[in-house]
Amino acid sequence: MPEEKTFYLTLEGLEKLKKEYSDLKNLKLSKTKGEVPSIWESEDLNPEYLSFQEDLSFLESRISELEYILKNAKVIKNPPKEKQSVISLGAKVTLEDSEGRINEYMVVGTLEANPNEGKISSESPIGKILLGHKTRDQIFVTSPIKVAYRIKKIKYQSC
Amino acid sequence: MEKNLNFFIEINKLKDMERTGLTWLGVKNPETVAEHTIICAFAAWVLGRLNNLNAGRLIKAALSHDLCEVYSGDMTPFWGILPEEKKARKEFLKRWICLPVKEKEARNRERFSTEKKCLLKLTGSLGKKTEKEILNSWLDYEKRFSREGKFARQVDQIEGMLEAIYHLGKNKRAWVTPWWEEAEETIDDKILLDFLKVIQKKFYGKKLKNYRQLQDILDFILEIWKVKKMARHYWNLRHVKKPETVAGHIFTLTIMAWVLGRKKKLNMEKLLKMALCHELSAVYTGDTTQYDSVLPKNLAGREKILKKMLRMTQKEKQRIFLRDFRQEKKSLEKLTRKLMPSLRREMLQLWREYRTRSSREGYFLSQLNVSAVLLQGLLYEKKDKNFSSAPLWEWAFEISDDPAVCNLLREMKKKFC
Repeated sequence: MPEEKTFYLTLEGLEKLKKEYSDLKNLKLSKTKGEVPSIWESEDLNPEYLSFQEDLSFLESRISELEYILKNAKVIKNPPKEKQSVISLGAKVTLEDSEGRINEYMVVGTLEANPNEGKISSESPIGKILLGHKTRDQIFVTSPIKVAYRIKKIKYQSC
Repeated sequence: MEKNLNFFIEINKLKDMERTGLTWLGVKNPETVAEHTIICAFAAWVLGRLNNLNAGRLIKAALSHDLCEVYSGDMTPFWGILPEEKKARKEFLKRWICLPVKEKEARNRERFSTEKKCLLKLTGSLGKKTEKEILNSWLDYEKRFSREGKFARQVDQIEGMLEAIYHLGKNKRAWVTPWWEEAEETIDDKILLDFLKVIQKKFYGKKLKNYRQLQDILDFILEIWKVKKMARHYWNLRHVKKPETVAGHIFTLTIMAWVLGRKKKLNMEKLLKMALCHELSAVYTGDTTQYDSVLPKNLAGREKILKKMLRMTQKEKQRIFLRDFRQEKKSLEKLTRKLMPSLRREMLQLWREYRTRSSREGYFLSQLNVSAVLLQGLLYEKKDKNFSSAPLWEWAFEISDDPAVCNLLREMKKKFC
């Protein structure tokens, strides 16, 4: 188990994890009893994920991992209006580089990060750099050659 | 078994498939998908130990993550957006991808669906349980279902970046920039973030203290890098053009062990680790063959000997075994000397069990290894009629008695002879 830490999640992400936890508990119970779990019939579950959970050893470790996460979870809330010009968790950020190319990220907690979809973790180097900056600030990505971006827009999803 | 054999033949294509990103930049002989996979598996195992992650799950995620490329090809993140014109394309590749979130999401969905279809096409004939296990490992990597899947994905990114630094060199920083940009977007694991710092220190002179363990792991990974560039000596002796590398061979054997070992109720994690380690000594000894000490200097004499399996007395065999065993042990001890003591002991023990066939996993793997060599020989023979696999058949039939391996040999005979 990782060292004690807080997991920042969107409300949607937290609900998803809670549901996953209760589904997995049911799945484990059914497996122990040797029954066909009723959650297989549910339509809103990700069949890929359920197939993955068939591995009992993973099922158990995932359940205890989820218990730990849920115990230490904190919901990301939009900052008050006057602070929405500053990047914090949950912000969708539009960046422009020196050649006018536009890049976009959404800064999320580590559990919801998926850089392929533009959702970057607040614990990644770029996530860390972005946090706390305002529109029109210039930021530098810290790779061996510094890449400069201007922050064009910061947006928070309406709750 | 016929379906398993077809699967092994298909995945063999990954040993010739060069990674696209570096090829676009004009790099000659970049790593192949198979070679990349093997170093990813090693790096995930060694680095994952610092996070107490499940090594078996990590290795499986790494092994499965690019299997779909047998049919999808190496689909880099730049797919579909690169300019056709060479110069413009090269310029474009100097930077990482900049796109709106919506577009990134749509592209990711499309890539995922294509790759999943390709993976299912590849594994569909392996039988439900094996297919599911490979699919689940791939999904773990793709969707980051477990801590291991997430970690393996980040390690994959680091391996690609190290390969870029290896080829493009620290003096061409601009070309490596997109790999760094991607890493700084992707990596958020604490150990791996520190590992990035260690890489910066190694290649760009960044000042750094107190990362001794990670520096040693980086040195270990850069040492085993050599097996990606080391052609198998036996194929060189047999005049094969562009032969598989040691890493390519490790790839075939590890996947074969995964698929065939499942049904034997062996300790799968141990078996996979053993397959990864079985040729590591080559880093310092070079890739050796049993012919090395008996081949004469004149070409005609050499060819005559290589056409047949070596015939030796028991005493000679023992002498050669002991000599090789000592050399390989020395090499492995040198290679692992800076690793964590428990990991070092484990690697040495796995190798010893393989070499002496002193465990069920070692016994099975040593036989499967010969089948992997034979399969490669048969594929060369198919391409070049002057090449004969006869000595490999002799070797395989002499050494094999495991039912699964014997079945595989029978199937190879049916298919190729």
